[in-house]
Amino acid sequence: MTGRLKYVLAAAILLAAVDVSQAQQKLVVSIWGGNWRDGAKEAIATEFTKRTKIPVEFITGGTMDRLTKAKMAGARPESDVTLTTSHVAYLYVADKLFQQLDTAKIPNLKQAYPEAVRSPYHIGLYSYVFTPAFRTDLMPKDFKIESWKDLWGAPVKGKLGLPDFDPSHIIVVSALLSGGDAQNWKVGIPMLEKLKPSIKAFYQSDATSQELIKTGETPVQVILSINAYHQMSQGIPLKVVVPKEGGVVGIDAIGINAGSKMTDAAHEFINVALDPKVQEKLCDIYKCSPMSSAAHVSPQLAALPGIVTSAEQLKHQILIPDEVRAKLLPEWKVWFTEHMTR
Amino acid sequence: MTKRQIWWLLIIPCVLVAAAMIASLLGVFQFSFRRFIPGSLSAGGFTLDNFYGMARPIYLLVILDTLLISFLTAVFCLILSYPVAYALVRTTKEWLRTLLVILAITPLFTGEIVRTYAWMLVLGTQGFINSALLSIGLIDTPLQFMYTRFGVVVALVHFSMPVMIILLATAIGHVNRDCEKAAANLGAPPLSVFWRVTVPLTMPGIIAGTVVIFAWTMSAFATPQLIGGGKVLMISNLVYLQGLSSFNFPLAAMLSLIAFIAAIGSLGAIQPIVARLERRVALQ
Repeated sequence: MTGRLKYVLAAAILLAAVDVSQAQQKLVVSIWGGNWRDGAKEAIATEFTKRTKIPVEFITGGTMDRLTKAKMAGARPESDVTLTTSHVAYLYVADKLFQQLDTAKIPNLKQAYPEAVRSPYHIGLYSYVFTPAFRTDLMPKDFKIESWKDLWGAPVKGKLGLPDFDPSHIIVVSALLSGGDAQNWKVGIPMLEKLKPSIKAFYQSDATSQELIKTGETPVQVILSINAYHQMSQGIPLKVVVPKEGGVVGIDAIGINAGSKMTDAAHEFINVALDPKVQEKLCDIYKCSPMSSAAHVSPQLAALPGIVTSAEQLKHQILIPDEVRAKLLPEWKVWFTEHMTR
Repeated sequence: MTKRQIWWLLIIPCVLVAAAMIASLLGVFQFSFRRFIPGSLSAGGFTLDNFYGMARPIYLLVILDTLLISFLTAVFCLILSYPVAYALVRTTKEWLRTLLVILAITPLFTGEIVRTYAWMLVLGTQGFINSALLSIGLIDTPLQFMYTRFGVVVALVHFSMPVMIILLATAIGHVNRDCEKAAANLGAPPLSVFWRVTVPLTMPGIIAGTVVIFAWTMSAFATPQLIGGGKVLMISNLVYLQGLSSFNFPLAAMLSLIAFIAAIGSLGAIQPIVARLERRVALQ
């Protein structure tokens, strides 16, 4: 081997070693793509890197794709931290894909609402509601929604859009209106069947929900409030309403993947995410409700329907326990597909 | 390297791909007979519950819908693609051939989602067709194209046409023109030449195209998902809806298995017809 070749090889090995050490020093966060990633990057990752000097790399995908990948990866996870919906996080926990959190390393958790602690393994970061919204330009001038029952009214006939990937919201609302609850959901079946004439189409994702609103195909929708506010910011005349019974709360949660080698950094990432200032910024971007009681959102944001700024307000919304939702969703889906979609 | 060694070198990748395919199918097969544990990603012990569950009317209806939509798509695709493929092969004008190639083949490069979204803009309540019909006063209220079998078939036909055109153009290109000239010289009018000579001679392409589009459509997902809006379901949508998005992987596996059997079964069922047609063509 010539002397020059030796030097080239040594340099290559050195570069590879530096690359590996840098790769080990970054925190990998699993999240949804688009606005979700951009918001988390701007609000949480920037502050985290500023404090720790550790860069953050996001890997994105749908809720189910990421869950399946995590299951396949097992003890060698692709990411250190995962953000997902709270009831799906329950499945991560049930399958030991999340590790138990050391709350001593998350001091900002002390300022969070009790609802933020979803389990010893995952923490709620922010909340939103699934609630009715309608296109003001496509519905009669005097049309209004005060109660969930208004979705059963004549003006909504053939105009309603519902999610079919997760019918839990309308199922639980129907159960509540019929005197039941999530566990005792079957009491709401007669009401659900009476809702069929109102339904125009079902949506399968955030993208199709927005498309149905944008094109006016479903001028009334049970919609994720964050998506509704995003569309309003793009000039679509949409009105979000939280009925007197409350909106169905959704909580997006965070957990540390079992097998992560960046446990301390991951705890710090969660701590940063719960920092009141970071929570304010995150909620301003997403138009959601903070989980930190110390976070003060702007008056404009606080005035939006579905934005919760106190533990008391959160109690007035409809909250489905994660375990109940995760366990009953398959049963709900079978019933919903059989009786509502056809 | 001997000829035998080259042969082995080529066969090894095929065997590996086939083995991977068979292993994954076996994986789906064994998973379809496992018990679903609510609230867990892990499957339980072996059970026949998922198999018995397939007797529910919803599953049978969706399988029948899938077969019907696939059949209609294949038939309409054939009817619409044949003239295009014929013109593509037989035209003497270079500019027309180029135009047809561009119009017929470019959609292949745009992807299923883009083309389906385009159809949503055309078929929607406020879409192109309804707006046009409303503006010229032919209708008072928008017609319902979206969330119907009709809308799904229209979008699937458009999606499948490039493949059908390629297959038909190949078949038409292989027709011996002397046979057509002989028929014409013996006094057959042009339409008769087309029906009694050209079409039978292109039967291999017609059969191949129809079978390919039928089988292809059986696994359609994005188009029925977006155009069907949850109201028109095909098997793939049901697998996603009932199985994957509700974490019931054993049910998803059983539905996939049923879809696989339905596809193989329906292709097997049309095999005698295909064989008869091929025999007739060979005799002619």
